[in-house]
Amino acid sequence: MNDMRIAERTVGTNAAKISARGVQVYYGETHALKDVDVDILDRTVTAFIGPSGCGKSTFLRCLNRMNDTVAIARVEGTILLDGQDIYDKRIDPVQLRAKVGMVFQKPNPFPKSIYDNVAYGPKIHGLTRNKGELDEIVESSLRKAALWNEVKGRLNDPGTGLSGGQQQRLCIARAVATSPEVLLMDEPCSALDPIATAQVEELIDELRENYAVVIVTHSMQQAARVSQRTAFFHLGNLVEYGETGQIFTNPKDTRTESYITGRIG
Amino acid sequence: MHNEPHIVSAFDRDLETVQALVMRMGGLVEKATLDCARALETRDEELARRVLADDSAIDALEAQVNEECARVIALRQPTATDLRTVLSVLKVAGGLERMGDYAKNIAKRTSVLAQFTPIEGTAGTVRRMAKQVELMLKDALDAYIRRDAQLAADVRSRDQEVDQIYNSLFRVLLTHMLEDPRNITACMHLHFIAKNVERMGDHATGIAEQVIYLVTGQMPEDPRPKDDRTPFVASVND
Repeated sequence: MNDMRIAERTVGTNAAKISARGVQVYYGETHALKDVDVDILDRTVTAFIGPSGCGKSTFLRCLNRMNDTVAIARVEGTILLDGQDIYDKRIDPVQLRAKVGMVFQKPNPFPKSIYDNVAYGPKIHGLTRNKGELDEIVESSLRKAALWNEVKGRLNDPGTGLSGGQQQRLCIARAVATSPEVLLMDEPCSALDPIATAQVEELIDELRENYAVVIVTHSMQQAARVSQRTAFFHLGNLVEYGETGQIFTNPKDTRTESYITGRIG
Repeated sequence: MHNEPHIVSAFDRDLETVQALVMRMGGLVEKATLDCARALETRDEELARRVLADDSAIDALEAQVNEECARVIALRQPTATDLRTVLSVLKVAGGLERMGDYAKNIAKRTSVLAQFTPIEGTAGTVRRMAKQVELMLKDALDAYIRRDAQLAADVRSRDQEVDQIYNSLFRVLLTHMLEDPRNITACMHLHFIAKNVERMGDHATGIAEQVIYLVTGQMPEDPRPKDDRTPFVASVND
């Protein structure tokens, strides 16, 4: 055991990377997210927890405008990324998603080689001028995702041939390749075994040096392990948001308490 | 505080089990506190021997509490109130175990003191003090069961009464030793006994503080009222 996270948990001084104010989301008639105010801190892992249907994934998807792709979804309120409104008409959602990367629940590598999976983003965004630069980005992204040593000898093999845990780290490498500033992760470990989960959690902790990481998880222990701040959602409301240690030892709201202690609330 | 059941009912059973163990410990310690003081006052060596023997039951219960708590932490990963329950159970059990040891030590000294002439009035005062401590412990344990931070705060404030009795006994013992050096051995033993009871009061207070932590999530911040002035006594006339 060499876990010094407790000593590193003082994260209150980090500046806000994303500021959300009065965010409402409607899916048709359904009011899915009600008046959410939250500041996501830079270089911090923020966990969203809450029962199914509480709005945590909905809110996560607001942060890179993934809800734009849902026809009946309507988003109100303001979400600022570094002070700029991401729902401003002048913002290109494709550019935004290069800045705010996302990793999904099930590893979903493209049916291409390991190399092409990582190279795809930088290519379509025109981030490189030549093959040499692209090689560099692929290598550094795979290194950041702690996958390089396992795949460096077989970059041309299909990404789908990797193990589940490796595939998920490949997806993280793919997300990292476009040099995002924020990484959104929706249940990134739910399809992984405990060892692969531990590797991804270790990776998340390392990614925190460079990115603001937001993770949605159903595993409260995972939220406790990887995050410095935790937000609890319930019935579309952000019930409580605070330092992770405080949320798990002395939550202020009885709904948070019921949920994290596994009571019928 | 939450009293709704867990979705996984075995978790409730585990938490109830460790708390029931601590309460059993508490009952034994209350009895030991009263018995050792009664044995001292009535010079009942047989009762003192029983207090001595019964301490092993308290120690065994503490070991069991520690083991059960380790299991709950490992298997259920308690959080929030549940975590505070487990942590407070561990500390309360530790405090009770120490109190049991003090009672045992008093019982040992009681056997020695039976060979000396009684020092007038002192054993009665020790018994009064022990009764006070036993009441504090009883209320602290009641506060624990009822999750009553108010009662716990009340227990905490009562420790200074124990300190006051100890202060006056300290002076009385000094006087006896000055008057007749042949009293010194008995008075020294009596002083250790009084000091033990005073320490037991501190542990009862510690248990009350655990109740406050359990209920509120915070240890009390205000300094506890204390009244042990003996560290500053240089002579009987101070």
